[in-house]
Amino acid sequence: MGTPVSMATGFFTDATLCIGCKACEVACKQWNELPADGFEFTGDSYDNTSQLSGTSWRHVAFVETTELGDAGVTDRWSMLSDVCKHCTAAGCHEACPTGAIIRNEFGNVFVQPDVCNGCGYCVVSCPFGVIDLVERFDPLGRQYNLATLNENRREENRTALAGSGGVAGKCTLCYDRQKLGFVPACAKACPTESIRFGDLDELRDEARERVANLQERGVAAALYGADDVGGGIGPLGAFFLLTGRPESYNLPAEPVLPSTRQRAGYTAAALAAFGLALAGWAIFRAS
Amino acid sequence: MHRSDAPPRVPQPDDAFAGASPQAGFPEAPTYFDRPLLKAPHWGWNVVAYLFVGGITGGLGIVAAVARGDRAEDLRLRRAARFAGLALASASPILLISHLGRPERFLNMLRIVKFKSPMSMGVWGLLLYSGTAAGSVARELIDDGTLSRRLDRFVPPSGVLLQALLGCFMSGYTGVLLSATAIPLWGAGKRHIPAASVCSSVAGACAIASLYSALEGNMAVIGRLERLEAVASVVEMAVLGDFRRISGAYGAPMYDGPRGRRFRNVTLYGGILIPGALSILGGLFDLPPRAQKWRTIVSSLLTLAGGYVLRETLIEAGKESAANPHAAFRQPQ
Ligand code: SF4
Ligand code: SF4
Repeated sequence: MGTPVSMATGFFTDATLCIGCKACEVACKQWNELPADGFEFTGDSYDNTSQLSGTSWRHVAFVETTELGDAGVTDRWSMLSDVCKHCTAAGCHEACPTGAIIRNEFGNVFVQPDVCNGCGYCVVSCPFGVIDLVERFDPLGRQYNLATLNENRREENRTALAGSGGVAGKCTLCYDRQKLGFVPACAKACPTESIRFGDLDELRDEARERVANLQERGVAAALYGADDVGGGIGPLGAFFLLTGRPESYNLPAEPVLPSTRQRAGYTAAALAAFGLALAGWAIFRAS
Repeated sequence: MHRSDAPPRVPQPDDAFAGASPQAGFPEAPTYFDRPLLKAPHWGWNVVAYLFVGGITGGLGIVAAVARGDRAEDLRLRRAARFAGLALASASPILLISHLGRPERFLNMLRIVKFKSPMSMGVWGLLLYSGTAAGSVARELIDDGTLSRRLDRFVPPSGVLLQALLGCFMSGYTGVLLSATAIPLWGAGKRHIPAASVCSSVAGACAIASLYSALEGNMAVIGRLERLEAVASVVEMAVLGDFRRISGAYGAPMYDGPRGRRFRNVTLYGGILIPGALSILGGLFDLPPRAQKWRTIVSSLLTLAGGYVLRETLIEAGKESAANPHAAFRQPQ
């Protein structure tokens, strides 16, 4: 599965510039025709979206903590717009048994809803907890993400989606907008340029410069995913500038690409199976 | 980028967000309102049943292959294992489809073959296995004269070996299917879960074969089947014990609390120790045939219940594991 790394696009999302306006969340829902997720007050700072899901493809995390120090109580306040990481080696992409998840010509990880059969294997194979099934699609007859699809496949998609069982949903990196030469909806709507879209190599250079600049000014800042995140995943196609530990934004400190465990698993299974087959052979021959 | 004179100490991100709610066994880390990082599997009883049935059908392929071809009672056993293997292999896609929602969705998986996806490998494995299982049943039917001898050339003898090999795959790939995911509990068992799946599948296959044989009165093979079942069960127990030891805090959702108790009672005691004791009993004492038959039936059903609960525990504990952000922050290698 070759990756067109030469011209990969992606996101650089900068927590120091995010003001928590959630314009990205709204723009994403609007453009991608994603249904609302209900109305619930969580009590967790300003965050009522809670998580990325099959119908929320941007999620603004509000990291609000207070600390009691010598100077009294200090508030820390940090916002970050989370999104699918468009991993270099993507767990969801490797796991998908139907080939619904592809890497497109922009180097992004894209789900074709008309091919997805709702098995849910990608859901458990994403090390970042991003992709999820949209269950029981569309009671109101509205469309789900059909805009991203080829016109002459829309009817098929409508039938695929209207069935039971659901399909997997996550950020498409606005595949359709990119095709038209537009910037993804969230990056376009972001009023502070906290979300930057562009060529990944350029974004990474920009990010390194930005983080060095911040550190020089005494700001605790670090990049997440601009370089290899480890575990076999490689650099992320959507990476972040954080001002706290990754865990405080609900990002894993040590993500692992699930398929790296397959060799050990198949070997253990083969040893056990051949061992037992041999034992069975012996038992039936001995008596 | 830095000034040439001595730069101030660069603050580390850790400084900013000190203070954490550590959870037993995991290194101290802040969480995001204790929200889960990972998404839990959307899998219910039909997937549990598939893991169970798919594994056992594979185990039956192994049982059919190890039975001797030169002894009447073994031939009966082989016939039983072949019929049961095909029946369970045919039930598997039905269970999968009941999970996917609509039959055509199953076909989407036949668009591609993907070696990196155990789900894709499994579907192809199941289809090929079903083919060989059907071949074996055809062989039985040709041999007893139900089907015409002219069909002989369509069922080559090499099919038996192929069925056994694919059976080995079927008995264990579901373990790889679980362990090659991001769910921390499953990932921590990258060797143990596949190995335990194989053992449980083979033990379950022996139990089905014993049940079948007891019901059709082929008591001569029961002793051998129970010996193989005992070997598989002892290895399974050792693997599950070792998994508890190495998995540490990752393994807690499987071994602790009410779920852990149920798992111990049904799978370890009910599914392994009691059937083991019953087969020792059967070996030591010359039980009357009726008692022998009922002993076999009870012990087989217990083994099967244990195998089902093993799969159910894995899936349900996986959901709990996904909900623990601490387990997900540092994913097992
Ligand atoms: S973050 Fe998850 S959903 Fe996004 S590409 Fe990576 S594995 Fe797939
Ligand atoms: S749910 Fe859909 S996209 Fe996800 S692995 Fe299954 S077929 Fe692929």
